[in-house]
Amino acid sequence: MTDDRDRRDRPARHDIETPLSRATLNAARPLDVGSYPPTRKILPELCVMKIGGQSIMDRGGDAVLALVAEIVDCAKSHQLLIGTGGGTRARHIYHLALDLELPVGVLAALGAATAEQNARMLALLLAEHGGVYDETPNFFNVPALLRTGCIPIKPGMPPFGYWAVPGQSGRIPDYRTDAGVYLMAEALGAKRMIYVKDEAGLYDDDPKKNPRAKLIPKISARELLDARFADLVIEPVVVQNMLAAEHVREVQIINGLERGLLTRALAGEHVGTIIHA
Amino acid sequence: MTKKILYSEDDKRVEVESPLMRESLINAELRTGTESARARGVMPGLDVISLGGHSIIDRGAKAIMPLVDVVVEARGTHKLLIGAGGGARVRHTLHIGLSLGLPVGALANLVSNVDSQNAKLLAAVFAKHRGVLIEKEEFLKIPLMLETGMIPIMSAMPPYHFWEPAVGNRRIPLHAHDLGMFVIAEVTGARSLIYVKDEDGLFTNDPKKDPAAARIPRISARELLARELPDLPLERAVIEALSLSRHCRALRIINGLVPDQLRRALAGDDVGTLITAEAP
Repeated sequence: MTDDRDRRDRPARHDIETPLSRATLNAARPLDVGSYPPTRKILPELCVMKIGGQSIMDRGGDAVLALVAEIVDCAKSHQLLIGTGGGTRARHIYHLALDLELPVGVLAALGAATAEQNARMLALLLAEHGGVYDETPNFFNVPALLRTGCIPIKPGMPPFGYWAVPGQSGRIPDYRTDAGVYLMAEALGAKRMIYVKDEAGLYDDDPKKNPRAKLIPKISARELLDARFADLVIEPVVVQNMLAAEHVREVQIINGLERGLLTRALAGEHVGTIIHA
Repeated sequence: MTKKILYSEDDKRVEVESPLMRESLINAELRTGTESARARGVMPGLDVISLGGHSIIDRGAKAIMPLVDVVVEARGTHKLLIGAGGGARVRHTLHIGLSLGLPVGALANLVSNVDSQNAKLLAAVFAKHRGVLIEKEEFLKIPLMLETGMIPIMSAMPPYHFWEPAVGNRRIPLHAHDLGMFVIAEVTGARSLIYVKDEDGLFTNDPKKDPAAARIPRISARELLARELPDLPLERAVIEALSLSRHCRALRIINGLVPDQLRRALAGDDVGTLITAEAP
């Protein structure tokens, strides 16, 4: 099928006729998608959790092992997918790359490896209970792993690498592991998204530096962005994405150093901070 | 339930000393402090050419072969990197995917196959001229190819896959072929970025639909966004990224159906439309 509206003096375009074949995909107004069905949830029973790098993994030993024991229990009654953060080693290589005057894309490409290490460590700890390391960016092994009762463990960093877009300021990538795990949950239409960190939830400043920081048990994404807190427990792009998300309209941040909270959060209880769109 | 706090003290974390230690990397002041006027792209001197899928590749040999000649001719004097866009099969993929209710991340993942096909198609055409297909993970091997006189050819789609950011009711990926090549030009610090499409640049409206549309020879990203034109020949995300770019501060859109425009653009002539990060 050729484009008959195209001028005759030019080589014809070999088109495939569909409603989109000549639609303007870059128009100011969004594409008219009214004739298409709504987006489906790919894995509607899935519970996605992110295990913090700096907050959990870098504590090593007892902190990680106690959490792993709780995950093993939870996996008996929930479909779990685990994503991992980077932590202090990611900060170390970011610093080296910044010192070498490298651009944001190089930092994003480097940061992925630390989250991969953490995912592999967790996969080894969970191996006897079905923990399986699953590479980014493939998703197509996840259903088989879930069906056989395994726990897929993926690095949290999104696969952008050198393709990370420069942000408003600085050279630290905007989309890091909080965002990477959130976008996995959103793409799969997950039931829950839980961030396992080392604080009771979201504060109006970094509680490790400001002892007067106040815990906020529940807040909307819009309110949170408007509040412009100096520091946040979660990457701001996660909150921005929530506003445009179709499936994961609520996330919970919990303290992974306190036993039982993960179990309760998976059961739908409010035990940390809930951010909702 | 009994509460057992394992470690409440911050010093139980085992840390690697660095100025970013214990930072959330979210604090605005800390982030701004990582800006550096001395930062550079990693492969300066590159000329990045993005070949449109719908506009050029789908027109077949009559459109592609004259451009192959220009690229081969320029190879002696330029370090070239070619990106291949998607086109008709992307639109078909999007249509089928949308009708099946697939989420935007799945669409981004599926669309990348079409760009890969087109990159293979071009690499096969360029093979006798030392054109070489380069995979995303081989990015840091591009200098080797350039030094040995090869022409690296890559699929333009950025590797966002299922991680494509949420788009609400736009439903289709915001970060596609044009954005992919823009970011490559940005991270490499390319000397030039040329989008080869099928119109003489940017127009006030789609010239295929509106014969009264006028060409805009030069415009800044900010101005262009403020104008809210009904249509753009490039993805909106590119214009937004250009306004925030650190290294790739301008891009050019030319008409590949007039192959001399590519020759002139590579020579630094002012053809087509130049979109700049700053106001001219």
